[in-house]
Amino acid sequence: MSQRTLDPAGARDGEAIASPPRAGRPPGPAPAAPRPWRERRAAWDARLAPYLYVSPFFLVFAVVGAFPLVYTAYVSVHDWSLLGGKGDFVGFQNYRDVWANPYFSKHVVNTLSIFVLSSVPQVVVAVVLAGLLDNQLRGRTWWRMSILLPFVVSPVAVAIIFGSVFGDRYGLLNELLGTVGIGPIAWHTDRLASHVAIATMVNWRWTGFNALIFLAAMQAVPRDLYESAALDGASRVRQFLAITLPMIRPTMIFVVITSTIGGLQIFAEPRLFDETTARNGGSDRQFGTITMLVYDFGWQLRDLGRASATAWMLFVLIMLIALVNLVLMKRIGSLAGER
Amino acid sequence: MTRRPGFLVYGLLAAFVVGSAAPFYWSFLLGSHTAQVAAQGVPPLLPGGHFLDNASRVMDTVPFWKALGNSVLVSSVCATSTVVFGTLAGYAFAKLRFRGRSALLAGVVATMAVPTQLGIVPLFIVMSKLGWTGTTWSIIVPTLVTAFGVFFMRQYLVDAVPDELIEAARMDGCSQIRVVWHVVAPAARPAAAILWLFTFMATWTDFFWPFIALPADNPTVQVALNQLQSGFFKDYSLVLTGATLATVPLLILFVLTGRQLVAGIMQGAVKG
Amino acid sequence: MALTLASTLAACGGGDDGGETADGKTRITVATFNEFGYEGLIEEYNEMQDEVVLEQVKVGTWDDAKANLYTKLAAGSGLADIEAIEGDAIAAVLAESDAFADLSDPELDGRWLDFVAEKGTNADGQMIGYGTDVGPEGICYRADLFEKAGLPTDRDEVAAMLGTWDDYFAAGEKFVAKVPDTAWYDSSGALGQAMLNQVANPFEADDDTIETDNPDLEAVWDDVTGNSDTLSTQLAQWGDDWTASFQNDGFATTFCPGWMLGIIEGNAEGVEGWDIADVFPGGGGNWGGSYLTVPAQGDNIDKATEIAAWLSAPEQQAKAFAAKGTFPSQVDALAAPEIVDAVNPFFNDAEIGQILANRAQAVTVQPYKGPKYSDILTAFQAAVLRVDEGAQEPDESWEQFQADVAALG
Repeated sequence: MSQRTLDPAGARDGEAIASPPRAGRPPGPAPAAPRPWRERRAAWDARLAPYLYVSPFFLVFAVVGAFPLVYTAYVSVHDWSLLGGKGDFVGFQNYRDVWANPYFSKHVVNTLSIFVLSSVPQVVVAVVLAGLLDNQLRGRTWWRMSILLPFVVSPVAVAIIFGSVFGDRYGLLNELLGTVGIGPIAWHTDRLASHVAIATMVNWRWTGFNALIFLAAMQAVPRDLYESAALDGASRVRQFLAITLPMIRPTMIFVVITSTIGGLQIFAEPRLFDETTARNGGSDRQFGTITMLVYDFGWQLRDLGRASATAWMLFVLIMLIALVNLVLMKRIGSLAGER
Repeated sequence: MTRRPGFLVYGLLAAFVVGSAAPFYWSFLLGSHTAQVAAQGVPPLLPGGHFLDNASRVMDTVPFWKALGNSVLVSSVCATSTVVFGTLAGYAFAKLRFRGRSALLAGVVATMAVPTQLGIVPLFIVMSKLGWTGTTWSIIVPTLVTAFGVFFMRQYLVDAVPDELIEAARMDGCSQIRVVWHVVAPAARPAAAILWLFTFMATWTDFFWPFIALPADNPTVQVALNQLQSGFFKDYSLVLTGATLATVPLLILFVLTGRQLVAGIMQGAVKG
Repeated sequence: MALTLASTLAACGGGDDGGETADGKTRITVATFNEFGYEGLIEEYNEMQDEVVLEQVKVGTWDDAKANLYTKLAAGSGLADIEAIEGDAIAAVLAESDAFADLSDPELDGRWLDFVAEKGTNADGQMIGYGTDVGPEGICYRADLFEKAGLPTDRDEVAAMLGTWDDYFAAGEKFVAKVPDTAWYDSSGALGQAMLNQVANPFEADDDTIETDNPDLEAVWDDVTGNSDTLSTQLAQWGDDWTASFQNDGFATTFCPGWMLGIIEGNAEGVEGWDIADVFPGGGGNWGGSYLTVPAQGDNIDKATEIAAWLSAPEQQAKAFAAKGTFPSQVDALAAPEIVDAVNPFFNDAEIGQILANRAQAVTVQPYKGPKYSDILTAFQAAVLRVDEGAQEPDESWEQFQADVAALG
């Protein structure tokens, strides 16, 4: 059950087999005789109600989703300053400018790097954690709630809290590492170190959340599989690797996809982590992300044209990565089918 | 099936819980000391007695109560409207047959992948034209209903409301809206509660757009927190007191509803 | 349910209170950055009348305030009734004069030092900003650390020792040789500011054309980056580590415009040994100093103008000076007893009024700061920081700085 709701694609496929919803079906072949008013009203009610119900969403989406996307494209092919407003049509000039800007590739790489650093370890730890929780624990609910705790802290607060630990010179973490002879690590200036610091913030907030999703998937695994494996003499770890992991693989892909959309837009953490006055992600953009570049172009350099071009390029990137994930998911799905 | 956990399992879990909780303590710890103590790399392990002093300094530095009021308002309005509109649309997609349903549903699913941040430039231009930037309207309107909310309710209602029940109600002469009110709404309640909670939390923690749209004297909690952090004095005792205060409301909500949240995440795919 | 929602929405009214408080008074906001020393003044104003409630909104550092200013200018709403503007950016704001009220008032002629009034007025004679303070710089130093290094500690002797930049750097070499764990000055960024403010045309020619490839700027760059390894903390000014370094004997000297005194006192709370010398290497220098503007988008422009005039009057600025050391830009204030006789116990009872007045006298160069100055400065500071951090060699970072400036368009 959880598996199906977890899987948007699967749900769409499920459409065909859903029982035909009768309630909303328009009356069959209309009788020739004029119908009483009541009946006609009921018919209109049945015909219009669905549209009425779905319209608020599409209205809001049209205003804040579809229109902006199209309008972003429109802005992106114009000179468009924050204060001066629309200028000349410039074709793809803004795209070329952004593409040629040395910071663009930097911000793209940073975004991907932070994303990988925050999704891969997160999935691994969350799966292990879910495996631990998938036991007959005493105080089950208490454990589950405890690991979800970080989820209530906003990214801004997380960045503040962790920022105070990741000081380059006087931070707690470097002091602690110093006592065991490591460091000091330049958290704000070394590119990889800064990515690790930011990814840590993301991981701290989301690992417990994802562990619960994995836990749900694990609990859907038929228990007799484990029993027969145990009869064959498979160890607990072996059971986990051979049974649990393959069974929850689609869920893993799902978690990665959903975190792609959020993860590639990361803004609050790196911005608050930044100590330079410009707050663009470090003096040399060591940890500047694409959304930060959108903000930089649009509101710090006051050029909405280039900001829009950057936003569209981010959109394309997200779509590409989501597509790769989707293909991956389909393949893994068919592999599972052959099993 | 004998899967009785040993000490190792409890030990690892306990370590993880400590890791989850430690930053909360750290935040409160620094917030309970003076700026001077908090500026040291390794502060004392036990809290000091300055939390209330620092809290009152937070109130002096940023309009914290106003921010709190704005956040509660924006989050609860958005959560409520997402639930209402999500339930209506979710019901239509789950149970009603109408022309273009599959295409529209596919549209909903596809829009889940469109990040709102991408439309930030037009959003800013439009809100400016409407004269809404600076007001909480500019934050509320774009999140009145989300694709996720629609899809989530649809998934739930497919199974939760038997077709026979709707049919029976229709036979009794119920109008569609009465069916929604008397049949669908009661059945949708568990999912609606979860959707409400997650939408509330997602709106509460949102930063990028409120950061651009709202002025310093009419912020949400997150915007006020950012202001606190970007101050000229990087005063850790002050900033971390702010972070603690900003977390408390959600923490209370968590204590009250954590059980449902856990159940919600495990029942469906909820990604805030 | 939908009905409840609609009424909730209607009741919440969007949260724009249209400039009125609950009891019907006019609400006037004044947005400041850094430390203006206005807390006491605002209280005083609110007690003195009951028509208006004056509130202060603090917006972090100037860079944050700047982004906020432009965003809300573009939005056409959301600015405070009175917005403080950093002196370095006033030329940029003058380019948007239409968005600000004309504050010129014959009665106020002659209130400010001439250069202050000129910078706040556009070519059409529209005055968009009332000057608040100026930033004549002295050298703040840690007498206790000087003693450790065998340097003189008396403020007159220190002044005699630091007359030129060469003297200053030489003293620094001596200092760090004796006290290797402490840097000579607080940040390369601050040194850059200090030196830029002695250059006639740091980034832009008098006709506003951008010329960042000029020999004067290059000389500043060479000094700043050349001493980075040996004398600087190499920290980002205003960053967390920079703040913490006040509590950890991170550095021995810093460049001290009046407004910096309050910041040092705040960051170095509990640290003893601070003092200020009546000297600045290479002559005088003015760093910063701000303006109060009244955005035209506000609801109560007249009242806001009146309050801005009140806040920037000599008597009030003298009080702000007493609170946070912001040195007044008003002619009359300079003679006020609050200034002339001011003594600061934190800085070893230094006669800061007299010292800063002398420092103001010593200022000979008012750098030309055109509309792009503030944006270029941001890029310059990042360039300096890249060298501090070892992310780039000076030449490489200089090239990138030029590219960043070109991208400003």
